[in-house]
Amino acid sequence: MTRVRVTAPRSVTSGSVTPGSAASGSAALTGGRSAAASQEAAEESDAGQLFVRSLIRSQLRLGLVVALGFLLIMLAFPLVLGLVPGLAHSTIAGLPFDWVLLGAGIYPVIGLSAWLYVRTAARNEARYRDLAGDK
Amino acid sequence: MNPVVGVAAFAAVSLATAVIGFYGLRISRTTGDFYVASRTVKPWWNASAIGGEYLSAASFLGVAGLILLSGTDALWYPVGYTAGYLMLLLFVAAPLRRSGAYTIPDFTEARLDSRAVRRVTSLVVVLVGWLYIVPQLHGAALAIRITTGLPAWVGPVAVVGVVCFTVVAGGMRSITFVQAFQYWLKLTALAVPIVFMLLALGGGDSAAAELPPPSTANPTALAPAGPYQIISLLVALLFGTLGLPHVLVRFYTNPDGQSARRTTLIVLGLLSVFYLFPTAYGMLGRAFAPDLARSGQADALVLLLPGRMIGGVAGDLLTALVVAGAFGAFLSTTSGLVVSLAGVISQDVFGGSVRGFRLAAVVSAMVPLGIASMTESQALAGSVGLVFAFTASTICPVLLLGIWWRGLTDAGAIAGMVTGGVLCGSAMVAGSVLGAAQTPSWLAQPAAWTVPAAFAVTILVSRATRGRVPRTMTRLMTRLHTPERPLATER
Repeated sequence: MTRVRVTAPRSVTSGSVTPGSAASGSAALTGGRSAAASQEAAEESDAGQLFVRSLIRSQLRLGLVVALGFLLIMLAFPLVLGLVPGLAHSTIAGLPFDWVLLGAGIYPVIGLSAWLYVRTAARNEARYRDLAGDK
Repeated sequence: MNPVVGVAAFAAVSLATAVIGFYGLRISRTTGDFYVASRTVKPWWNASAIGGEYLSAASFLGVAGLILLSGTDALWYPVGYTAGYLMLLLFVAAPLRRSGAYTIPDFTEARLDSRAVRRVTSLVVVLVGWLYIVPQLHGAALAIRITTGLPAWVGPVAVVGVVCFTVVAGGMRSITFVQAFQYWLKLTALAVPIVFMLLALGGGDSAAAELPPPSTANPTALAPAGPYQIISLLVALLFGTLGLPHVLVRFYTNPDGQSARRTTLIVLGLLSVFYLFPTAYGMLGRAFAPDLARSGQADALVLLLPGRMIGGVAGDLLTALVVAGAFGAFLSTTSGLVVSLAGVISQDVFGGSVRGFRLAAVVSAMVPLGIASMTESQALAGSVGLVFAFTASTICPVLLLGIWWRGLTDAGAIAGMVTGGVLCGSAMVAGSVLGAAQTPSWLAQPAAWTVPAAFAVTILVSRATRGRVPRTMTRLMTRLHTPERPLATER
């Protein structure tokens, strides 16, 4: 069976295509990244892999910390409602407190966690770029 | 209710969908356009499109219906649907975009360098997609029956017809615009009637004065959910979102990993705003339409409430808007799923050509139509919740471990997917055979044990077959996690 793989060119990287760089891979994924074949070679060296591994570790740690923090806050909501007597049935602006907390209060927590993650993940990548000497 | 209202609303949404589809027809020329819009879609468009595609019948009708039925316990559904996207952002969004693959099977094949893994993944993805389309079609049947009085089968047939037409005509490029339009349509369709209903309530009507607090006005005798059910539901929703085929395919239309993250951030905002409205409908429904819960029509709450609270022409117009939004939900989720399934089926069966894609699109829409016409509608949010459990037990472990763990092997991936699929699938079958009343909660919400089981089997088998870690692994892991060249990120 023959398969035609359709890969759209990555419009932005194509600005600096180096000749003879199409050798990037036995893997099925040969996107538009061949422009950086020399870069990939550098990343596969021992020192390069050290940086890559540390980047992956820090991104994973970041993801886990944010996820855990969010889950703890989310599980705290029903606990607070259950433990503080009368809180669930008190009202805010005419609406019952437990509905406001679960129906609207969790979303800002999600948004904040996401925003923190995106900022820090981008920072981790910037640090990796500095270390790996990306230009 | 005036039957013309429902028909007119559905016709208007279908027409709008088809027009945008046609508009897209003129710009999609290459095969790349058909698959992922050549990855040139801007974050805002893309985020609206993801939101439009993700907010299905379960979100539009089902959440409010479940809140009407079971009160605050059901509030975990919208929270879980949204938090699932947070998990997707934290662990999947950027690496998956950087993998450069189009579909989940593409990703697993590349990561594990194995055709067998590809085939198993394709099978699971197609199964998930079909399972997910069925509740959409049930929702369409319900909406047609309630609002127009036509026979219920008209709804699913019309939805599948419009979807096939749009997908075959324009592919993904126009789908992106259609989906973005449909997010805003759905939001408007829920928000505008709520504003009018609240105005009617606050306008000195006697109704407002006697509004009972929703939590005390329980229309059914349903027992509150225990901690196990809530935790299991959250496991399903949080981890299930990661593996939904129509969600993943959207990320390939981002130009790079960082913009994939930005897009997800916007999506989270859009979802958070959206889910306030079904919650409000559920709350109002508890106070003003508790009879719907008792007569087994809770899923129709969103469609019927505006007409009940605001009579006359204004009520009819608002009902038309809500019906339009509901059909927007059925159409957008179904077309998103059909596109991603068609991508998988056409590459695996029809060789990846444009003609194969069109053929595969029709196949992927027809099978669920057959299943939907043979099955009975259950609570929409509940049946979609089960699909999330299935995805969380099959695709999620392979995806997460594939992205973050170097030790994953093809044997481990297959063993994990089969284990999760068999366990969760049997729980779903057992649950539907036993019926909702007889099913114990560990079968009704299986994710809490099937997901850990799938993870455990994947890890153990990978460990046992550690010699099979593919040689391409290091290069792939580097590609998944390192940022694109600076040129690529500063657009």
